[in-house]
Amino acid sequence: MLEPKSVLFLAAILFSAGVYGVLSRRHLIMLLMSLELMLNAINIMLVTFSRYWAGRGSGLIAAHSGQFFTLMVMAVAAAEVGIGLAIIVAIYRRKHTSDADAMTDLKN
Amino acid sequence: MGLLFLVSAAVALIGTVLLITQKNAVYALLGLLVAFGASAGIFLSLEAPFIAVSQILIYAGALAVMFLFVLMFTDTRTEEDTGMPVAVGARPDFDPAEHGKKKKKKKKKDAEPNKLLSGIVLPKPMAVVVALSLLVCFSFAIIKLPGSYSRFGDLPTVQSAQVKDGEKLPNYDTGLKFTPEAGETEQPRYVDYGSTEAVSYSIFEGFPLAFEVVSLLIFAAVLGAVLLARRHLTGIPGTQDVGKEQPDA
Repeated sequence: MLEPKSVLFLAAILFSAGVYGVLSRRHLIMLLMSLELMLNAINIMLVTFSRYWAGRGSGLIAAHSGQFFTLMVMAVAAAEVGIGLAIIVAIYRRKHTSDADAMTDLKN
Repeated sequence: MGLLFLVSAAVALIGTVLLITQKNAVYALLGLLVAFGASAGIFLSLEAPFIAVSQILIYAGALAVMFLFVLMFTDTRTEEDTGMPVAVGARPDFDPAEHGKKKKKKKKKDAEPNKLLSGIVLPKPMAVVVALSLLVCFSFAIIKLPGSYSRFGDLPTVQSAQVKDGEKLPNYDTGLKFTPEAGETEQPRYVDYGSTEAVSYSIFEGFPLAFEVVSLLIFAAVLGAVLLARRHLTGIPGTQDVGKEQPDA
């Protein structure tokens, strides 16, 4: 039997793994990938709540607002990745590396 | 639905572990792709087929290919792999062009076949502590949820909806009632939860303004990406024509 709590727990695990990835990796693209994993975990949470409220007598639009916001998160994630990867390419052109530790231009 | 969820969850966890442990960025991307595909399975088990298909199209299709594209563009090695400091400015004699060449030579010298197990990043203690404490916080929040969260309610069927509304509407699918606003030509009817039709009602009847604003956002993002990744920033002060000094361009 599928439980909302178990789905939410899975999403929490995925989100924490994404946080771990962001904190532990030094490669900029790996950072973005872990960020995507976190957004994906949030999507799973949103869809879970959408399904939960649909089973508790919400109206059509209220029950689907979770799915709608999942689509919004997907669009924002796509925009974010586009900009992020463009920034990484631009940085790589200047510095010939994509190691996060090399980004020290604003230091001091 | 329960079995599909269990299988998808297991596969998603495997992909996630691959993502956060693999040193080789392409293997990590593969793990991310696996996690995304498994998430689509989770969406299916939550009866959201439209979201599942969007997930595969946008994440597994577009985003993963974009990541792979940029991985091919850039040097995916970091200081950990080469043993050389990469912080520009840390060494006065640092020359980026030379640096790239040196790294390549070194890589060739101790080149060994890439194995999944030898390419694992060792866990960083502080990152593990932060992520685990976050997970503990989430777990407390989930455990403290009211008891109604221990099961999904049944989706309304046509019969139950008709009993609730006290009328017989024309049509089709199970579930949720669509009520058009006054002055619209459409008839009220029932639509299936999670169907494309129902999601479209939530977009165009529920949140049309957010939908339009997101299209603006994506437009701005496309423009910004083109501007940022352009090769020659001629006429813009502070930028230089850096394309020529690239070692293997």
